[in-house]
Amino acid sequence: MQKKTIFWGVLAVVALAFPLVIRSPYYQHLVIISLMWVIIGSSWNLLAGYTGQVSFGHAIFFGVGAYTAGLFPIHLGLSAWWGMLTGGIVSMLVALFVGWVCFRLRGPYFALATLAGGEIVRLIATNWESLTEGMVGILIIQTFKSKLPYYYIVLVLAVACILVIERIMKSKWGYYFVSIREDQDAAESMGINTTLYKNISLLVSAFFTGMAGAFYMNYMAFIDPEVVFSLHFISIMAILVGIVGGVATIWGPAVGAFIMVGLQETFRSSFFGLAPKWISQAHALAFGLLVIFVIMYLPNGIVGDWATIKRLVFRTRRTAG
Amino acid sequence: MKKATVIFCIVFAITLGLSGAVMAKGSVKVGIVLPTTGSLAKFGEIERDAFLMAQEEINAAGGINGLKLELLIEDTTGRPEVGRSVVEKLITKDKVVMIGGGYSSSVTYATAGVCQQNNMPFLVNTGSADKITTSGWTWIYRLNPPVSKYASAVESLLTQVIKPKTVAILHENSLFGTKGAKKFDKTCKKLGFKVVLKEGYEHGGIDFKPVLTRVKQKNPDIVYMISYIMDASLLMKQAKELKLTPKMFIGGAAGFTMPEFKENAGVASNYVISATLWHQVLPFPGAMEFYKKFKARFNKSVDYHGAEAYAACYVIADVLKRAKSFKNTDIKAALDATDMMTVFGPVKFTTWGKMKNQNKAATYVVQWIDGKLELVWPKEHATKQFQYPIDWLKVWGY
Repeated sequence: MQKKTIFWGVLAVVALAFPLVIRSPYYQHLVIISLMWVIIGSSWNLLAGYTGQVSFGHAIFFGVGAYTAGLFPIHLGLSAWWGMLTGGIVSMLVALFVGWVCFRLRGPYFALATLAGGEIVRLIATNWESLTEGMVGILIIQTFKSKLPYYYIVLVLAVACILVIERIMKSKWGYYFVSIREDQDAAESMGINTTLYKNISLLVSAFFTGMAGAFYMNYMAFIDPEVVFSLHFISIMAILVGIVGGVATIWGPAVGAFIMVGLQETFRSSFFGLAPKWISQAHALAFGLLVIFVIMYLPNGIVGDWATIKRLVFRTRRTAG
Repeated sequence: MKKATVIFCIVFAITLGLSGAVMAKGSVKVGIVLPTTGSLAKFGEIERDAFLMAQEEINAAGGINGLKLELLIEDTTGRPEVGRSVVEKLITKDKVVMIGGGYSSSVTYATAGVCQQNNMPFLVNTGSADKITTSGWTWIYRLNPPVSKYASAVESLLTQVIKPKTVAILHENSLFGTKGAKKFDKTCKKLGFKVVLKEGYEHGGIDFKPVLTRVKQKNPDIVYMISYIMDASLLMKQAKELKLTPKMFIGGAAGFTMPEFKENAGVASNYVISATLWHQVLPFPGAMEFYKKFKARFNKSVDYHGAEAYAACYVIADVLKRAKSFKNTDIKAALDATDMMTVFGPVKFTTWGKMKNQNKAATYVVQWIDGKLELVWPKEHATKQFQYPIDWLKVWGY
């Protein structure tokens, strides 16, 4: 128990002191993006991992949050920070509709419906030029030049997101969610209103993803439909973050986010310029191999199968020594 | 657990140390942002090769007043948000003195915003959305013409030779495609051509038959297409399969002038015309030599993209040579005073219309004649007579 307290204490200090110690905006940027993915991955995990409703369309909520923030400056002349208050809520409204349509379907059909939903929203954003500026995108000038404010904002959001999810999973709701995942019909016959609880899970998930989207707009200061409604770079990435880190674990998506963002940048920059340039072309392949490896050998993700990893590492160490 | 942490820290420290150690001395660093992987990689590669070739020549000729010109070519993967973080990295971590490159409108638009905010001079050489130089940004300079001017040579060819009555416009749903289509739509209205169809298609699409069938039903005199490379080839191939025969197929630069267009579309590429910004036969000093040298070295033809990059590298070198110091304000002053001849034509950054720091470059029309890209318009520069009218079915071998 004491070991645990020390661990969390150290982690908290590291998290708070990181941008003050590592002054390079480049590394700060990578950690900010990772923290943003902690939020998206954890939100996805609440819906997919705990409630069993696998979503292929989290870009819907991310993009809606981002556009909610982006529309303030271009249509109302207000700061995009208003989006931080409203992005999550607008995402929830959209999620109500998505849930109303998609929760009539189960399993793979639900996944496919969300996949289609993401593409529909992207096409709307592309073609509704009077509202969204279409492919021109929305460009704002960042409020802060320093990365510190962004870092602490996203850190607070990420911590809040994880704490809320942990709280929910320890409450009655959490048990309802898991029971829906394990057997929806059994849950229903136990008297659980499965539609209601699936929607609650979706709403919480959409809220945090929308907040992440609004943060993205403020931080990156440029969005277009291809960026924020991207199937590949948002919806699929959310799934990868969850799977690699560990589905249905509180800390899995957090670990997964750092691993995936780190890997992506490592490959993009060809191992920070140390490896030959062609390596950067292999990033999709490397992602694929990683996912195959994780699914085959660590089906519960890095956090879920931490005991296995520890045992493996420990054993090889001992034989080596 | 503890051991793993220690190992992680060591690996991290080594990575940090190494990346710091590769810094060269006695050089001046310029960041170049290009998409060298992803769906726009073909364009990025051709520009990267041209940049590297120019860099070698410049350094062989004494570099920047004795210092080596060091280009840090960073991959944007063709995505605006990656471009943005790449530029931030170049500015803060690599401490480059200025930025060059910039392919694809959206990425360039997003990265230009970062440069403006950081007071970092950015010489754009391909990203062509008007917004890049009409946003009032003071640190952004552009070598290539804005997309709204791409079709000006095509316009004069249309009014003087083809004289179409009806037009169909197809474009990729991207910043470049949408804006180019809108502008051409306006031009047609101004010139009195009727636009019977204006249709966007999705990036990465492979089946254009539905949209081409609609074009065929409308039977327009010309089909104007604003596409990147795979879609350009596929559009022509499928037009051939559907026996779509307007008076002329016109490409709005980008994909239609690339050597890969001919390779992928094969016979369907023959006699297609395209707007272009450059051709090796133009009477600019070094244009032909550049073309031949590039071909000998990389075993592929080079189009306007390569010429833009090659010229941009020489402009960058010229600016850095003239700058009083490598401070951003001094480099900006040198950019403002730029007045030089390149393989891409004369380069001078001025403010005209809504544009700021925009070079005025002419545009041309090229035609694929028997597998070769020939300059056909304006007449005084033409290498071959403009082939018109054309019996497409015969050309395609039906």
